[in-house]
Amino acid sequence: MTRLIRTELLKLATMRLTYGLLAVAAALSALFSLLENNMAGTGGSGVPAISTADGLRTVTTVTGFAMLFAAMLGSIVANGEFRHSTATLTYLATPKRTRVLLAKVIASSCAGSFFGLVAGIIATGVGLAFVAGHGDHVALSAGTLVGHIAGAVVGAALLAALGAAIGSLVRSQLVTVIGLLVWAIIIESLIGGLYTATRPYLPYTAATTLAGTKLGSAAFGPAHGLSGGGPLPFVAGAALIAAFAAAAALIAARTTVRRDIS
Amino acid sequence: MAVIEVDHLTKRFTGVTAVDDVTFAVEQASVVGFLGPNGAGKTTTLRMLLGLVTPTSGTARINGHAYADIDEPLHVVGAALESSLAYPGRSARNHLRIAALAGGARPGRVDEVLDLVDLTEAANRRVGGFSLGMRQRLALATALLCDPEILILDEPANGLDPEGVHWLRTLLRNLASDGRTVLVSSHILSEVAQTVDSVVILDSGRLVTQATLAELTAGGTQLLRIRTPRAVDLAGLVNARDGAARVVAGDRIEVSGATSEQVGLMAAKHGIPIFETTTEAADLEDIFLRLTAGQEQNEVTR
Repeated sequence: MTRLIRTELLKLATMRLTYGLLAVAAALSALFSLLENNMAGTGGSGVPAISTADGLRTVTTVTGFAMLFAAMLGSIVANGEFRHSTATLTYLATPKRTRVLLAKVIASSCAGSFFGLVAGIIATGVGLAFVAGHGDHVALSAGTLVGHIAGAVVGAALLAALGAAIGSLVRSQLVTVIGLLVWAIIIESLIGGLYTATRPYLPYTAATTLAGTKLGSAAFGPAHGLSGGGPLPFVAGAALIAAFAAAAALIAARTTVRRDIS
Repeated sequence: MAVIEVDHLTKRFTGVTAVDDVTFAVEQASVVGFLGPNGAGKTTTLRMLLGLVTPTSGTARINGHAYADIDEPLHVVGAALESSLAYPGRSARNHLRIAALAGGARPGRVDEVLDLVDLTEAANRRVGGFSLGMRQRLALATALLCDPEILILDEPANGLDPEGVHWLRTLLRNLASDGRTVLVSSHILSEVAQTVDSVVILDSGRLVTQATLAELTAGGTQLLRIRTPRAVDLAGLVNARDGAARVVAGDRIEVSGATSEQVGLMAAKHGIPIFETTTEAADLEDIFLRLTAGQEQNEVTR
């Protein structure tokens, strides 16, 4: 199994797409933490000044993009093999297909966690740089900041695993990449906006709250900035996403993964 | 000992029977041509043998096991399938490194197989820019990575230039002389005729025949081209016996159904001088076409 996971990681390391997605995720994290920072304390956006704990947290926890990109990477790890017919060779080397699925989920988590780490460091760096620039007091403890970065690592890893499971279930790369974007940007926002009580249970939102992002802060549409309700406890949130991933992987193993490779 | 056994193998896709009750075996250390026109079911059969496609019924075994039950399969079977393409963004070397890691090849093997297929110089180039011939070489290199005893090659000559086909023949001959078992598919008999010991011919999903090349040509007719100043006389003599002769020019006849010895003796007996005799081996391609065309006619009349 170790050999299989190493194989999947080597595949990731030899794809330019991996570095491209990481670069875009890092750039978006930097851009949006800068935007939040510019809005902080201006009153209009509802983001408090970054001299306050709430304000600083809004800037340092802009890690949702990295999580979304980690999920896309995971899906591509799984169904990119069908786009380029490399699945043939993969299954010739490892005919036990569920082992391949498991290795892909684990390797995706590893790569995904790196996306979370990079985004967490960038957003935290941006926040701290502006706090220092203003000569303000850092309103969050070092432990809290590190905890948020660790949360981003866990959230991105879990979403990447979910992405790999979904990519195993649906063989079309285009469908899963667009589907993941639409889900995170439109559908979760709509559901969360209409039924606010469901927000802690929506996978993308739940992943962002693991990293300390306020419930609703990572949403793009109607649910953005909606107050009320609290996130799930860390372990419960992580378990929820892991359960989604496990369910998708299980269904994939019973259906799509068994199909003919031609 | 049969290392590949295909037993009553059938695959039906919605509305189409791609492979229909096919049975054949490949003996250890033999080189077998797997022939048939495009769409005959060759690739589907090979994919079932390799566990990539699930048969509707029947079994396909390698060393007595289903492919999925082989431990370290790349060490037992190396396959180069038409569509086992590499990710276009990777270099040939990285593609092989991945396959080597997945299959558990010994270190250093990547460079060895790159050298074996003459791709060392292109090793660091992206596969997306490769010609079809280079991709075929890369697929062969991938199949040879773990030094398997059995090789399954699907249309390896596709996209190769004449020089490449010659190179492939030499490679196959070398592999065979190592005592490896090779099953090589092609839709052109002449590509493999010089290399294979026997052939399995498939058409419209059904087995037409499994035979050695000698058995295949035994039924075919040999053609003699004879130059003689008394062409009409000699043709008459041959036609009076079992053979069939045709005068093609003033001093030339073509004879079938008789050996050059028989015609030579006949001519000597009647004092007919013969200036030149050439024997043309039965045309394998003709036999192949006749076998597969016949099957198509059956299909139509059924």
